[in-house]
Amino acid sequence: MKRFRHHGPVSAAGSVAASVTLATAMTLIAILLVQARGVLDFGFLLGTPSRFAAQAGIGPALAGTLWLTLLTAAIACPVGVGAAVYFEEYAPRTRTMLAIESAVANLAGVPPLVFGVAGLALFVRGLGLGSTVLAGGLTLAMLALPTVLVTSQEAIRQVPTGVRAAAYALGATRWEVIRRQVLPAAAPGIVTGLTLALARTAGAAAPLLVIGAASFITYAPGTPGDPLTALPTRVFAWSARSQPGFTALAAGAGVVLLALLLVLHLAGMALRRRLAGAAR
Amino acid sequence: MMADGSRPKSPEPARAPPDGPLAPAFPGGGTASLALSERVAARFFQLCAVLAALAAIAVAATLGSEAVLFFTEVSPVRFFSELAWTPLAEEPRFGVLPLIAATAQITAGAAVVAFPLGLLTAIYAEYYADPRVAGLLTVAVTVLAAVPTVVYGYVALNFVTPALRNIWPSIEAYNGISACLVVGVMILPTVALLSRGALKAVSPSLTDAGLALGASSARVLVRVVLPAASRGIAAALALALARAAGETMIVTLAAGNQARLTWSPLEGIRTLTAYIAQASMGDAASGTLEYRAFFAVAAVLFAITYAVNALGRWLAGGRR
Repeated sequence: MKRFRHHGPVSAAGSVAASVTLATAMTLIAILLVQARGVLDFGFLLGTPSRFAAQAGIGPALAGTLWLTLLTAAIACPVGVGAAVYFEEYAPRTRTMLAIESAVANLAGVPPLVFGVAGLALFVRGLGLGSTVLAGGLTLAMLALPTVLVTSQEAIRQVPTGVRAAAYALGATRWEVIRRQVLPAAAPGIVTGLTLALARTAGAAAPLLVIGAASFITYAPGTPGDPLTALPTRVFAWSARSQPGFTALAAGAGVVLLALLLVLHLAGMALRRRLAGAAR
Repeated sequence: MMADGSRPKSPEPARAPPDGPLAPAFPGGGTASLALSERVAARFFQLCAVLAALAAIAVAATLGSEAVLFFTEVSPVRFFSELAWTPLAEEPRFGVLPLIAATAQITAGAAVVAFPLGLLTAIYAEYYADPRVAGLLTVAVTVLAAVPTVVYGYVALNFVTPALRNIWPSIEAYNGISACLVVGVMILPTVALLSRGALKAVSPSLTDAGLALGASSARVLVRVVLPAASRGIAAALALALARAAGETMIVTLAAGNQARLTWSPLEGIRTLTAYIAQASMGDAASGTLEYRAFFAVAAVLFAITYAVNALGRWLAGGRR
């Protein structure tokens, strides 16, 4: 596009930095794959944690992470997108409303760990849910909510005012304008935000540690009331053990988690492309 | 964005002023005459906004109330002036400074790694690289962004620290420098992606004008592009700093859990986040001072990251 010619100190420094970035990403993936080779098989994916590295698997943790992601999506997506629609399309633009809006939006940068501490007091102890999948899902939903809200607001704001004006001029009501014009046009951007938020929460270990994700659950959670276990905390538990067998297990669980997140990203991109096509 | 970094005045409000010219005029004025679907939709969106606000209030109120209870037992003056953090000792001392110092060290170290690498990678991808190379860089940065922090922590503990031992044989198993390097890599995508966005917003006519006047590309970048994108880049850096300060898993796994004041990057240190993670795993009973201590620390962390993040959003001009 607006490319500069290759010479001069900035170009040289830039190419060095870019090479380092590229090499870092490749080294990271190589380390994980090399460490995890020989671990990844069906026995590992479906098996249960064990004191013996050779027999250990990630079945319950994998099921726990799928549960948590579903619960987070079910809570944070409607509430976050709905709140974004309210703030952009309904809310009176008073000082108070803008203050509320930015107070919620600034939570997007608060560390996941802090949401875990709040979740411990609110859900695990306050509501008496204990360290269950439901408490984990609610905590992660609180974590995802500000990100979903901010990205959805950005997407809705990108819809030209003229589109709304034209629809209103034709006699559409506010809900009709939102349903038929604003949301379809903003959908690709909203999906990107949802993907980002869900990937961030699915990979988060810190809040789950705080609310008491047990690393030694030997059965897969079948309902939201079952004890909490998840892939990121599984990686943590194995990483902290220095015996060689467990290092490989941590890498294996890490590779599965990373693969899951990349699948989530790819699914989000595919959905975004379809929605962008449909809006045109 | 204009050359001086100010934002052009938008000719029209970016969203419809509700009940302004765009809102349809309803006969009778009130909402009672609206169709049921209209009223249900309005109520639903309002409910969502209330829930979102409640969630935010719940987080702040929970941290705040437990922290206030903590400060009724431990004076804030002692909390912010004592130099030892030993909550489990016979005579517990709650001086948060060693934890804050460790968080500051990790954050600063990570910034030293990520700021130049991320910014130069963004400049290179935006202005110098072939489209293919730029695409490859985007993939690399996206992969780095997708890696969960606990996986970074695993790599820091099991690979980066052993590699550093070849350089400094006296390095401890848990140390600050390994965590600095890896947290730096973790926030690199934030710096690279957001500052590239800021670079993209610089009008090509500005760079063209600079080049047409005979300035070298390096001169155009330093004198034209960077000043024009400075607010966006500063916002990217602020958001990256907030992420580094709040990073938990890398420091818990690699930097260790000894609260001490040290300048040596080869020794283990304990950040605000690592303390919370470790203490909460200990299953402290509700209502004890130990339990409240990590709410107090979480409140400090919340305040720091919230302020830095608000600064970043203000710099980015996200709020009008």
